[in-house]
Amino acid sequence: MDMMIANLQHQRQITEQLRREAAIKRITVSQAVQDIMKFISEHEQEDCLLVGFSSQKANPFREKSSCTLL
Amino acid sequence: MAQDGSVKVESVEALSREADLLKAKLEDERQKLNDVTLSTVAERLEVINYLNIKPRRVLKGHQAKVLCSDWSPDKRHIVSSSQDGKMIIWDAFTTNKEHAVTMPTTWVMACAYAPSGNLVACGGLDNKVTVYSLSLEEDVSTKKKTVGTHTSYTSCCTFPNSDQQILTGSGDSTCALWDVESGQLLQSFHGHGSDVMALDLAPSETGNTFVSGSCDKMVLIWDMRTGQCVQSFEGHLSDINSVKFHPSGDAVATGSDDSTCRLFDLRADKEVAVYTKESIIFGANSVDFSVSGRLLFAGYNDYTVNVWDSLKCVRVSLLYGHENRVSCLQVSPGGTALSTGSWDSTLRVWA
Repeated sequence: MDMMIANLQHQRQITEQLRREAAIKRITVSQAVQDIMKFISEHEQEDCLLVGFSSQKANPFREKSSCTLL
Repeated sequence: MAQDGSVKVESVEALSREADLLKAKLEDERQKLNDVTLSTVAERLEVINYLNIKPRRVLKGHQAKVLCSDWSPDKRHIVSSSQDGKMIIWDAFTTNKEHAVTMPTTWVMACAYAPSGNLVACGGLDNKVTVYSLSLEEDVSTKKKTVGTHTSYTSCCTFPNSDQQILTGSGDSTCALWDVESGQLLQSFHGHGSDVMALDLAPSETGNTFVSGSCDKMVLIWDMRTGQCVQSFEGHLSDINSVKFHPSGDAVATGSDDSTCRLFDLRADKEVAVYTKESIIFGANSVDFSVSGRLLFAGYNDYTVNVWDSLKCVRVSLLYGHENRVSCLQVSPGGTALSTGSWDSTLRVWA
């Protein structure tokens, strides 16, 4: 009996989860992709790993200059 | 309740029939909205033909495999944890070790900085998550506090938006939200069918959403307040080792033992990209985006870091240097550097 109730509960959880997911509002892939591309194009200029640093001085991990103060 | 007011008797058979119908409906709905592919839309974009990312620092000090690392919000310090049972706080600028804490366990698989930069959390085969407060005056190991305990290993942890709470993922297939001060379990998240390997918070500061990836090959999206799973994604053919939100918050990237990385869009409710190449046959352990989301970094078991153009779905660069599996990687806050950790016992910083 316990086993049956456990099975029922388990199946109920699965079905309820699917009901929730089936009720989600979706957009087309083309719309989703447009939005991702828009976000990227708006932030590309701040992306140092993508576009590099305006000068090497702006790079906190640049190699130390070989000149040293005496 | 049935329409006539009588109580509808649920049966496993009826529920399971409904589940099958819902699954078919879900698949149908997703396919209806599947009008283009990401890489064809991205064809018109310029090719990324040159990246100037170089190895800048090597952090040496762990005695065994580096398993996890996390940047401090100050963009300068890194916490790392290792199979040797140690957690180390590094000054990545100078490569100095500021603190080294020995844990009562080996395989410290998770570590994380708190948003204030004053606390770090870690855990692993001890099944726990322990918080250490960082101060230069005192020995860090004396200021520790066990916050939470799972029934299996702690695989990942992160502070969601404040120092007051910790979110953990575990080999016991659950995620859990803990109160740091009281050690109370605030919420647990049940839904995965196997070990949870990774989690990540949605980028919005007020976000109450996080993503988890598991050895059950599933990606689940959770509501932190209710504890409910709100979305799930299938696609991977093997364990998922890493999950990361796209900086836009609308998609998540994953890395898997099936040697692919993938992109799942939350609003299209669907996988929209697979990052794969015939020559890549080893598992991907860790993924992260550059700040714009255009680059996807992925660390692999073949010792390399592949850099993917997330839109055109092609590899744009390879970072060589590690002499064993790349187990973890993370773009620094602000996006000026990439840290990588490896089974070769070192961490490296690239910029």
